[in-house]
Amino acid sequence: MTAVVETEGLTKFYGKRRGLEDLTFEIRPGEVFGYLGPNGAGKTTTIRLLLDVIRPTRGVARVLGAEPRDAAVRGRIGYLPGELALEGREKASEYLRFLAGVRGGVAKGRIEALGERLEADLSVKMGQLSKGNKQKVGLIQAFMHEPEFLILDEPTSGLDPLVQQEFLAMVREARTAGRTVLMSSHVLAEVEHVSDRVGIVRGGRLVAVEDVAALREKAVRRVEFHFDAPVPEEAFRGLPGVRDLKVEGTSVSCTIDGRPDALIKVAARFTVVHMVSAEPDLEEIFLTYYSEDVHHAHVGA
Amino acid sequence: MPMLVRKSLRDYRRALIGWTIGICVFVGMYTSFFPQMHQNPDFYNQAAIAKYPDSLRKLMGGLENIASGTGFLQAVVYQLFVPMLFIMCAVILGNKAIAAPEESGTLELTLTLPLDRKRLVVERFAALALGLLGIAVASLAVVTILGSSVDLGVAFDRILAAHTGLYLLVLFFGTLALAVGAATGRKALAMSVAGVYAVAGYVVNALAADIEAMRWLNRLSPFYYYSEGNPLVNGFPTGDYLVLLAGTAVLVLTAVLAFDRRDVGV
Repeated sequence: MTAVVETEGLTKFYGKRRGLEDLTFEIRPGEVFGYLGPNGAGKTTTIRLLLDVIRPTRGVARVLGAEPRDAAVRGRIGYLPGELALEGREKASEYLRFLAGVRGGVAKGRIEALGERLEADLSVKMGQLSKGNKQKVGLIQAFMHEPEFLILDEPTSGLDPLVQQEFLAMVREARTAGRTVLMSSHVLAEVEHVSDRVGIVRGGRLVAVEDVAALREKAVRRVEFHFDAPVPEEAFRGLPGVRDLKVEGTSVSCTIDGRPDALIKVAARFTVVHMVSAEPDLEEIFLTYYSEDVHHAHVGA
Repeated sequence: MPMLVRKSLRDYRRALIGWTIGICVFVGMYTSFFPQMHQNPDFYNQAAIAKYPDSLRKLMGGLENIASGTGFLQAVVYQLFVPMLFIMCAVILGNKAIAAPEESGTLELTLTLPLDRKRLVVERFAALALGLLGIAVASLAVVTILGSSVDLGVAFDRILAAHTGLYLLVLFFGTLALAVGAATGRKALAMSVAGVYAVAGYVVNALAADIEAMRWLNRLSPFYYYSEGNPLVNGFPTGDYLVLLAGTAVLVLTAVLAFDRRDVGV
């Protein structure tokens, strides 16, 4: 199967300012790709290049096997802009019908169903929509024609937590249906639960592409055991991956790097009454990618 | 009608209604003054000459023969105020095609629809041309109906010829704003280019009768092609109007090509 997105040396300069440099990556069919980076890192630039809103300074991009300039390919994409501007006296429902018309129509009742699902009031004039409601209209227009490829730029901004959950469910459904999703964010927590892979971009460069499952495996995890009787510290000392070990009477706490297998097997020798394992802190790994440049800068200075 | 044309016209609806009313009221008000002038030709001819200094009168097209139907219509409708008002309307609408939605950010979503960029520009131009045509037809109806009720005595085909010229003139300036907007994405720039060209073109054309040096420059003024043939007297100046139309066509082509090759919204 051909990649949904394939870029090679994709570069964009705005005058002398670097927007994106030498981006080579691919997005595979059926995956949810989280595109992470701080504001101004080049996420939106990448997305705009893929949609032919702007043109690359160098390099090539192919989307769904075609050049971004090919207008027909955009018919197979659903796009939510990062800074969605909607204005005028037109009602949101009218605008959505117009967009649907240009896209060759959508299934009957589809717009209304999505509107209900996201609790969006579509009878409001566009100029009077709140930020959250604008974002909902943006999501509806991106999803309504059931596109093969969804490009969502900061999709959760402005949404309240309940609607965010609903949105994440929609992304999961899209993946189950075999569609491909590219979603950007500056917070890992927003994308880690739905993404298969994440790309991390910083200062216009892609610094890492990681498998989320692998990232989780590598991640540092806090574990706590409570036993029915005091346990000897020696039993837990020196286990692979175990750090910050603390044995206090009947409880053992530590952080664990990688697989918890050895630790579990030692703990199983005693009677466990309670166990706590915190979610692996991907944010921490993520931050190390971010801080690397800062670190280098310090060394350089 | 293509979807984008219909959508654009719907977006322009309020502006179109407003400008139609404005221009029609303006045209109607002036046309209805005619009986007074007609009944006192000597007084008003004298007044026109006495009231304005020579140079200013030239800028206003001479104001000759203002008590005759043709002279009156030329002076009050087709000379200065109505064309300028109508051009202002065309420039504002022309800016709504690309530059205004680009500056407000609404163009980005339109651009990511499965629409060719070339088609986008052409359809926005079509909406502009249709919208202006609506205003032109409405104001033509006002001139014709009011004109006959006050006994202007100008044949309909002559009014039609002059009004066609007016339409082609404003379409040219509207398209100029659209083209500058399509090429640069900047509303204020499009507005100033079209505005400066309109004022300069008008002044050059008005002064060219007296100043030799202005003659060749006048060939660059759209107002030359608009007024030189004196359509209210002679009917359609086909060649001149074709020049206006060709100018518009060149601008549309420029807009299409320029917009197709640039980054949007940066």
